[in-house]
Amino acid sequence: MSYPILPGDESHDEAEELLPWYVTGQLEESDRIRVEDHLSSCSKCREQLAFERRMVQEFRAQAPEVDSGWARLRDRIEEARDAPSPARRAANDLWNVFRQPGVLALAAAQVGFLVVGGGILLSLSQPSYRALGSAPVAPTANVIVIFRADATEQDIRDALKANGASIVDGPTSADAYLLRIPARQRQLALSRLQSNDQVQMAEPIDGAAR
Amino acid sequence: MSLSGTVIQPRTETVRSRWPDERELLARVSGGDRQAFERLYRIYQPRLARFLISMLQRQQLVEEVLDDTMMVVWQTAGNFRGSSKLSTWIFAIAYRKALKAKARWPDPVEDEEFDTRVSPDAGPDEVLHHQKLHDALLEAMGSLTPEHRAVVDLTYFHGMGYREIADIVNCPVDTVKTRMFHARRRLRQAMPGSLADWL
Repeated sequence: MSYPILPGDESHDEAEELLPWYVTGQLEESDRIRVEDHLSSCSKCREQLAFERRMVQEFRAQAPEVDSGWARLRDRIEEARDAPSPARRAANDLWNVFRQPGVLALAAAQVGFLVVGGGILLSLSQPSYRALGSAPVAPTANVIVIFRADATEQDIRDALKANGASIVDGPTSADAYLLRIPARQRQLALSRLQSNDQVQMAEPIDGAAR
Repeated sequence: MSLSGTVIQPRTETVRSRWPDERELLARVSGGDRQAFERLYRIYQPRLARFLISMLQRQQLVEEVLDDTMMVVWQTAGNFRGSSKLSTWIFAIAYRKALKAKARWPDPVEDEEFDTRVSPDAGPDEVLHHQKLHDALLEAMGSLTPEHRAVVDLTYFHGMGYREIADIVNCPVDTVKTRMFHARRRLRQAMPGSLADWL
Protein backbone atom coordinates (compact mmCIF):
# COMPACT_ATOMS: atom_id res chain seq x y z
CA MET A 1 0.00 0.00 0.00
CA SER A 2 1.37 3.41 -0.86
CA TYR A 3 0.10 6.93 -0.87
CA PRO A 4 0.34 9.13 -3.92
CA ILE A 5 2.51 12.18 -3.57
CA LEU A 6 0.24 15.19 -3.39
CA PRO A 7 0.98 17.54 -6.30
CA GLY A 8 2.12 20.91 -5.12
CA ASP A 9 2.05 19.94 -1.48
CA GLU A 10 5.71 20.53 -0.83
CA SER A 11 5.46 20.47 2.93
CA HIS A 12 3.87 17.02 2.75
CA ASP A 13 6.52 15.70 0.36
CA GLU A 14 9.31 17.13 2.43
CA ALA A 15 7.94 15.81 5.71
CA GLU A 16 7.27 12.37 4.32
CA GLU A 17 10.78 12.21 2.94
CA LEU A 18 12.29 13.11 6.30
CA LEU A 19 10.23 10.75 8.48
CA PRO A 20 12.85 7.96 8.75
CA TRP A 21 15.36 10.39 10.22
CA TYR A 22 12.72 11.98 12.41
CA VAL A 23 12.05 8.58 13.97
CA THR A 24 15.73 7.96 14.65
CA GLY A 25 16.24 11.46 16.05
CA GLN A 26 18.68 12.44 13.32
CA LEU A 27 17.01 15.61 12.05
CA GLU A 28 18.37 19.06 12.58
CA GLU A 29 16.20 21.29 14.76
CA SER A 30 14.67 23.27 11.88
CA ASP A 31 13.75 20.10 9.97
CA ARG A 32 12.36 18.49 13.11
CA ILE A 33 10.08 21.46 13.79
CA ARG A 34 8.80 21.46 10.20
CA VAL A 35 8.08 17.73 10.35
CA GLU A 36 6.26 18.04 13.67
CA ASP A 37 4.20 20.95 12.36
CA HIS A 38 3.16 18.87 9.39
CA LEU A 39 2.49 15.74 11.44
CA SER A 40 0.05 17.62 13.60
CA SER A 41 -2.21 18.13 10.59
CA CYS A 42 -1.54 15.12 8.33
CA SER A 43 -3.02 11.76 9.25
CA LYS A 44 -1.30 10.02 6.33
CA CYS A 45 2.10 11.08 7.60
CA ARG A 46 1.20 9.98 11.12
CA GLU A 47 0.38 6.56 9.75
CA GLN A 48 3.59 6.57 7.76
CA LEU A 49 5.38 7.50 10.97
CA ALA A 50 4.04 4.33 12.57
CA PHE A 51 5.40 2.39 9.61
CA GLU A 52 8.82 3.98 10.04
CA ARG A 53 8.91 3.06 13.71
CA ARG A 54 8.00 -0.51 12.82
CA MET A 55 10.77 -0.65 10.26
CA VAL A 56 13.37 0.59 12.73
CA GLN A 57 12.26 -2.01 15.28
CA GLU A 58 12.21 -4.72 12.65
CA PHE A 59 15.64 -3.93 11.26
CA ARG A 60 17.14 -3.78 14.72
CA ALA A 61 15.51 -7.06 15.75
CA GLN A 62 17.37 -8.92 13.04
CA ALA A 63 20.54 -10.49 14.29
CA PRO A 64 22.65 -11.74 11.42
CA GLU A 65 25.18 -14.34 12.35
CA VAL A 66 28.66 -13.40 11.29
CA ASP A 67 31.58 -14.95 13.09
CA SER A 68 34.25 -12.66 14.31
CA GLY A 69 37.01 -13.00 11.78
CA TRP A 70 39.78 -11.59 13.92
CA ALA A 71 41.92 -14.72 13.76
CA ARG A 72 41.58 -14.73 9.98
CA LEU A 73 42.47 -11.07 9.68
CA ARG A 74 45.36 -11.40 12.15
CA ASP A 75 46.88 -14.12 9.93
CA ARG A 76 46.50 -11.86 6.95
CA ILE A 77 48.32 -9.04 8.73
CA GLU A 78 51.11 -11.44 9.62
CA GLU A 79 51.45 -12.46 5.98
CA ALA A 80 51.45 -8.83 4.88
CA ARG A 81 54.08 -7.98 7.47
CA ASP A 82 56.36 -10.80 6.37
CA ALA A 83 56.07 -9.78 2.73
CA PRO A 84 57.32 -6.28 1.91
CA SER A 85 54.74 -3.92 0.46
CA PRO A 86 54.69 -3.58 -3.33
CA ALA A 87 56.09 -0.05 -3.17
CA ARG A 88 58.82 -1.06 -0.77
CA ARG A 89 59.59 -4.11 -2.90
CA ALA A 90 59.84 -1.95 -6.02
CA ALA A 91 62.07 0.49 -4.17
CA ASN A 92 64.30 -2.30 -2.93
CA ASP A 93 64.48 -3.82 -6.40
CA LEU A 94 65.44 -0.45 -7.81
CA TRP A 95 67.96 0.11 -5.07
CA ASN A 96 69.48 -3.34 -5.61
CA VAL A 97 69.76 -2.68 -9.31
CA PHE A 98 71.66 0.50 -8.57
CA ARG A 99 74.00 -1.34 -6.22
CA GLN A 100 75.14 -3.87 -8.80
CA PRO A 101 78.68 -2.97 -9.89
CA GLY A 102 77.94 -3.49 -13.58
CA VAL A 103 74.86 -1.27 -13.45
CA LEU A 104 76.72 1.30 -11.40
CA ALA A 105 79.46 1.40 -14.03
CA LEU A 106 76.86 1.61 -16.80
CA ALA A 107 75.04 4.37 -14.97
CA ALA A 108 78.32 6.21 -14.47
CA ALA A 109 79.10 5.78 -18.17
CA GLN A 110 75.65 7.12 -19.06
CA VAL A 111 76.08 10.06 -16.76
CA GLY A 112 79.51 10.62 -18.26
CA PHE A 113 78.03 10.47 -21.72
CA LEU A 114 75.39 12.97 -20.72
CA VAL A 115 78.01 15.26 -19.21
CA VAL A 116 80.29 15.13 -22.22
CA GLY A 117 77.49 15.03 -24.77
CA GLY A 118 75.66 17.80 -23.00
CA GLY A 119 78.84 19.80 -22.86
CA ILE A 120 79.42 19.36 -26.55
CA LEU A 121 75.87 20.30 -27.42
CA LEU A 122 76.06 23.26 -25.15
CA SER A 123 79.35 24.33 -26.63
CA LEU A 124 77.84 24.18 -30.09
CA SER A 125 75.10 26.53 -29.00
CA GLN A 126 77.51 28.89 -27.27
CA PRO A 127 79.77 31.52 -28.83
CA SER A 128 82.94 29.93 -30.20
CA TYR A 129 85.21 31.84 -27.85
CA ARG A 130 84.00 29.79 -24.83
CA ALA A 131 86.25 26.87 -24.00
CA LEU A 132 84.81 23.34 -23.79
CA GLY A 133 86.01 23.09 -20.23
CA SER A 134 83.86 25.97 -19.10
CA ALA A 135 80.59 24.19 -19.97
CA PRO A 136 78.48 23.55 -16.83
CA VAL A 137 78.63 20.01 -15.54
CA ALA A 138 75.32 18.15 -15.54
CA PRO A 139 74.34 17.28 -11.99
CA THR A 140 74.61 13.66 -10.89
CA ALA A 141 72.11 12.11 -8.52
CA ASN A 142 73.30 11.19 -5.06
CA VAL A 143 70.01 10.29 -3.39
CA ILE A 144 67.02 8.19 -4.41
CA VAL A 145 63.69 8.98 -2.82
CA ILE A 146 60.17 7.57 -3.00
CA PHE A 147 57.34 9.68 -1.66
CA ARG A 148 54.22 8.18 -0.15
CA ALA A 149 51.39 7.61 -2.62
CA ASP A 150 49.26 10.27 -0.94
CA ALA A 151 51.98 12.93 -0.84
CA THR A 152 50.82 16.04 -2.67
CA GLU A 153 52.83 18.01 -5.17
CA GLN A 154 53.18 20.70 -2.49
CA ASP A 155 54.55 18.13 -0.02
CA ILE A 156 57.14 17.04 -2.56
CA ARG A 157 58.10 20.59 -3.44
CA ASP A 158 58.44 21.52 0.23
CA ALA A 159 60.60 18.50 0.96
CA LEU A 160 62.89 19.29 -1.96
CA LYS A 161 63.22 22.97 -1.10
CA ALA A 162 63.84 22.34 2.59
CA ASN A 163 66.73 20.08 1.72
CA GLY A 164 68.27 22.00 -1.14
CA ALA A 165 67.51 19.08 -3.44
CA SER A 166 66.94 19.19 -7.16
CA ILE A 167 65.42 16.43 -9.29
CA VAL A 168 67.87 14.84 -11.68
CA ASP A 169 65.51 12.16 -12.95
CA GLY A 170 62.13 10.60 -12.24
CA PRO A 171 59.57 9.65 -11.50
CA THR A 172 60.80 6.19 -12.48
CA SER A 173 58.50 3.23 -13.04
CA ALA A 174 58.69 2.67 -9.27
CA ASP A 175 57.75 6.32 -8.68
CA ALA A 176 61.25 7.03 -7.40
CA TYR A 177 63.05 10.33 -7.92
CA LEU A 178 66.80 10.71 -8.31
CA LEU A 179 67.94 13.78 -6.43
CA ARG A 180 71.04 15.87 -6.36
CA ILE A 181 71.77 17.34 -2.96
CA PRO A 182 74.88 19.50 -2.36
CA ALA A 183 77.52 17.36 -0.69
CA ARG A 184 77.74 19.40 2.48
CA GLN A 185 73.96 19.11 3.06
CA ARG A 186 73.54 15.54 1.92
CA GLN A 187 73.84 13.78 5.29
CA LEU A 188 71.46 16.10 7.09
CA ALA A 189 69.03 16.14 4.16
CA LEU A 190 68.98 12.33 4.08
CA SER A 191 68.10 12.18 7.77
CA ARG A 192 65.37 14.75 7.29
CA LEU A 193 63.91 12.98 4.28
CA GLN A 194 63.95 9.65 6.08
CA SER A 195 62.01 11.09 9.00
CA ASN A 196 59.57 12.97 6.75
CA ASP A 197 56.08 11.41 6.98
CA GLN A 198 55.54 11.96 3.28
CA VAL A 199 58.66 10.00 2.34
CA GLN A 200 58.48 6.27 1.99
CA MET A 201 62.15 5.71 1.25
CA ALA A 202 65.28 7.84 0.97
CA GLU A 203 68.69 6.28 0.35
CA PRO A 204 72.10 7.48 -0.88
CA ILE A 205 73.17 6.21 -4.29
CA ASP A 206 76.60 7.76 -4.60
CA GLY A 207 78.38 5.14 -2.56
CA ALA A 208 79.61 7.74 -0.07
CA ALA A 209 79.33 7.03 3.64
CA ARG A 210 75.84 7.76 5.02
CA MET B 1 1.59 18.32 19.47
CA SER B 2 4.52 16.61 21.06
CA LEU B 3 5.89 13.62 19.25
CA SER B 4 9.17 13.37 21.05
CA GLY B 5 8.17 9.94 22.34
CA THR B 6 8.33 8.60 18.80
CA VAL B 7 12.07 9.06 18.54
CA ILE B 8 14.06 5.86 18.66
CA GLN B 9 17.56 6.51 19.87
CA PRO B 10 20.12 5.59 17.26
CA ARG B 11 22.61 2.90 18.03
CA THR B 12 25.40 5.16 16.93
CA GLU B 13 25.12 7.13 20.16
CA THR B 14 27.18 4.59 22.04
CA VAL B 15 29.83 4.70 19.36
CA ARG B 16 29.81 8.48 19.24
CA SER B 17 30.50 8.68 22.95
CA ARG B 18 33.64 6.61 22.36
CA TRP B 19 35.00 9.08 19.84
CA PRO B 20 38.12 10.24 21.66
CA ASP B 21 39.03 6.62 22.38
CA GLU B 22 38.56 5.65 18.77
CA ARG B 23 40.74 8.48 17.53
CA GLU B 24 43.41 7.46 19.99
CA LEU B 25 43.09 3.85 18.89
CA LEU B 26 43.47 4.86 15.27
CA ALA B 27 46.58 6.90 16.06
CA ARG B 28 48.06 3.83 17.69
CA VAL B 29 46.98 1.69 14.74
CA SER B 30 48.79 4.02 12.36
CA GLY B 31 51.92 3.33 14.40
CA GLY B 32 51.50 -0.42 13.83
CA ASP B 33 49.96 -1.30 17.22
CA ARG B 34 48.18 -4.61 16.63
CA GLN B 35 46.42 -4.66 20.00
CA ALA B 36 44.87 -1.29 19.25
CA PHE B 37 43.82 -2.58 15.86
CA GLU B 38 42.19 -5.64 17.41
CA ARG B 39 40.16 -3.36 19.69
CA LEU B 40 39.13 -1.19 16.75
CA TYR B 41 38.23 -4.31 14.79
CA ARG B 42 36.04 -5.62 17.60
CA ILE B 43 34.22 -2.28 17.79
CA TYR B 44 33.50 -2.15 14.08
CA GLN B 45 33.20 -5.81 13.05
CA PRO B 46 29.57 -6.27 14.20
CA ARG B 47 28.43 -3.00 12.64
CA LEU B 48 30.26 -3.59 9.36
CA ALA B 49 29.06 -7.19 9.20
CA ARG B 50 25.50 -6.06 9.61
CA PHE B 51 25.90 -3.32 6.98
CA LEU B 52 27.60 -5.62 4.49
CA ILE B 53 25.02 -8.36 4.93
CA SER B 54 22.34 -5.84 4.04
CA MET B 55 24.27 -4.69 1.01
CA LEU B 56 25.63 -7.98 -0.25
CA GLN B 57 23.30 -10.65 1.18
CA ARG B 58 26.01 -13.23 0.81
CA GLN B 59 27.87 -14.53 3.81
CA GLN B 60 31.13 -15.46 2.11
CA LEU B 61 31.31 -12.14 0.33
CA VAL B 62 30.60 -10.30 3.59
CA GLU B 63 33.61 -11.87 5.30
CA GLU B 64 35.85 -11.10 2.34
CA VAL B 65 34.77 -7.47 2.07
CA LEU B 66 34.90 -6.95 5.82
CA ASP B 67 38.46 -8.26 5.94
CA ASP B 68 39.44 -6.14 2.93
CA THR B 69 37.92 -3.08 4.57
CA MET B 70 39.76 -3.56 7.83
CA MET B 71 43.01 -4.28 5.99
CA VAL B 72 42.67 -0.88 4.33
CA VAL B 73 42.08 0.66 7.77
CA TRP B 74 45.19 -1.12 9.09
CA GLN B 75 47.35 -0.08 6.16
CA THR B 76 46.15 3.51 5.73
CA ALA B 77 45.21 4.57 9.26
CA GLY B 78 47.79 7.34 8.97
CA ASN B 79 45.89 8.82 6.03
CA PHE B 80 42.77 9.57 8.10
CA ARG B 81 42.79 13.35 8.43
CA GLY B 82 39.86 13.67 10.82
CA SER B 83 37.76 15.81 8.49
CA SER B 84 34.88 13.34 9.01
CA LYS B 85 33.87 10.98 11.77
CA LEU B 86 35.97 7.86 11.94
CA SER B 87 32.85 5.72 11.40
CA THR B 88 32.08 7.67 8.22
CA TRP B 89 35.57 6.98 6.90
CA ILE B 90 35.43 3.27 7.70
CA PHE B 91 31.89 2.77 6.38
CA ALA B 92 32.80 4.63 3.18
CA ILE B 93 35.67 2.20 2.62
CA ALA B 94 33.32 -0.73 3.24
CA TYR B 95 30.73 0.71 0.87
CA ARG B 96 33.24 1.10 -1.97
CA LYS B 97 34.65 -2.37 -1.37
CA ALA B 98 31.15 -3.85 -1.31
CA LEU B 99 30.18 -2.26 -4.62
CA LYS B 100 33.36 -3.59 -6.21
CA ALA B 101 32.70 -7.05 -4.83
CA LYS B 102 29.14 -6.87 -6.04
CA ALA B 103 30.37 -6.02 -9.51
CA ARG B 104 32.30 -9.29 -9.48
CA TRP B 105 29.14 -11.19 -8.47
CA PRO B 106 26.50 -9.52 -10.63
CA ASP B 107 23.96 -12.34 -10.56
CA PRO B 108 20.85 -12.04 -8.43
CA VAL B 109 21.51 -13.22 -4.93
CA GLU B 110 20.34 -16.71 -4.17
CA ASP B 111 22.47 -17.63 -1.26
CA GLU B 112 21.47 -20.51 0.93
CA GLU B 113 24.07 -19.48 3.45
CA PHE B 114 22.50 -16.10 3.93
CA ASP B 115 20.48 -16.05 7.08
CA THR B 116 19.32 -13.48 9.54
CA ARG B 117 17.45 -14.38 12.66
CA VAL B 118 14.95 -12.70 14.81
CA SER B 119 16.26 -11.79 18.21
CA PRO B 120 16.09 -14.76 20.62
CA ASP B 121 14.61 -12.38 23.21
CA ALA B 122 11.22 -12.57 21.49
CA GLY B 123 8.49 -14.97 22.67
CA PRO B 124 7.11 -17.81 20.45
CA ASP B 125 4.13 -15.85 19.03
CA GLU B 126 6.26 -12.84 18.51
CA VAL B 127 8.84 -14.93 16.71
CA LEU B 128 6.24 -16.20 14.23
CA HIS B 129 4.86 -12.74 13.77
CA HIS B 130 8.30 -11.31 13.26
CA GLN B 131 9.39 -14.10 10.99
CA LYS B 132 6.55 -13.52 8.56
CA LEU B 133 7.25 -9.82 8.29
CA HIS B 134 10.96 -10.43 8.34
CA ASP B 135 10.76 -12.80 5.37
CA ALA B 136 8.65 -10.33 3.43
CA LEU B 137 11.05 -7.49 4.16
CA LEU B 138 14.04 -9.62 3.28
CA GLU B 139 12.51 -10.40 -0.07
CA ALA B 140 11.73 -6.73 -0.65
CA MET B 141 15.26 -5.76 0.31
CA GLY B 142 16.57 -8.34 -2.15
CA SER B 143 14.68 -6.61 -4.93
CA LEU B 144 16.47 -3.32 -4.24
CA THR B 145 19.90 -2.37 -5.54
CA PRO B 146 22.89 -2.56 -3.16
CA GLU B 147 22.99 1.25 -3.20
CA HIS B 148 19.39 1.43 -1.96
CA ARG B 149 19.94 -1.31 0.61
CA ALA B 150 22.93 0.57 1.97
CA VAL B 151 20.88 3.72 2.56
CA VAL B 152 18.07 1.76 4.22
CA ASP B 153 20.40 -0.09 6.56
CA LEU B 154 22.42 2.97 7.50
CA THR B 155 19.19 4.80 8.30
CA TYR B 156 17.10 2.19 10.10
CA PHE B 157 19.71 0.02 11.76
CA HIS B 158 22.70 2.29 12.23
CA GLY B 159 20.62 5.38 12.93
CA MET B 160 22.74 7.66 10.75
CA GLY B 161 21.56 11.04 9.46
CA TYR B 162 21.20 11.68 5.75
CA ARG B 163 24.28 13.93 5.61
CA GLU B 164 26.54 11.28 7.06
CA ILE B 165 25.05 8.69 4.71
CA ALA B 166 25.68 11.03 1.76
CA ASP B 167 29.34 11.22 2.83
CA ILE B 168 29.60 7.45 3.07
CA VAL B 169 28.01 6.66 -0.28
CA ASN B 170 29.57 9.75 -1.86
CA CYS B 171 26.45 11.25 -3.39
CA PRO B 172 24.31 14.36 -2.87
CA VAL B 173 21.97 14.52 0.12
CA ASP B 174 18.95 14.67 -2.16
CA THR B 175 19.98 11.37 -3.75
CA VAL B 176 20.04 9.77 -0.31
CA LYS B 177 16.54 11.03 0.38
CA THR B 178 15.30 9.85 -3.01
CA ARG B 179 16.82 6.40 -2.57
CA MET B 180 15.28 6.12 0.85
CA PHE B 181 11.89 7.24 -0.41
CA HIS B 182 11.92 4.67 -3.19
CA ALA B 183 13.12 1.89 -0.87
CA ARG B 184 10.46 2.64 1.77
CA ARG B 185 7.74 2.41 -0.81
CA ARG B 186 9.00 -1.01 -1.86
CA LEU B 187 9.24 -2.19 1.72
CA ARG B 188 5.77 -1.02 2.56
CA GLN B 189 4.31 -2.67 -0.52
CA ALA B 190 5.96 -5.90 0.57
CA MET B 191 4.34 -5.97 4.00
CA PRO B 192 1.72 -8.71 4.07
CA GLY B 193 -1.71 -7.56 5.19
CA SER B 194 -2.39 -4.05 6.31
CA LEU B 195 -0.14 -1.85 8.34
CA ALA B 196 -2.51 -2.14 11.31
CA ASP B 197 -1.67 -5.86 11.51
CA TRP B 198 1.92 -5.02 12.30
CA LEU B 199 1.59 -2.20 14.75
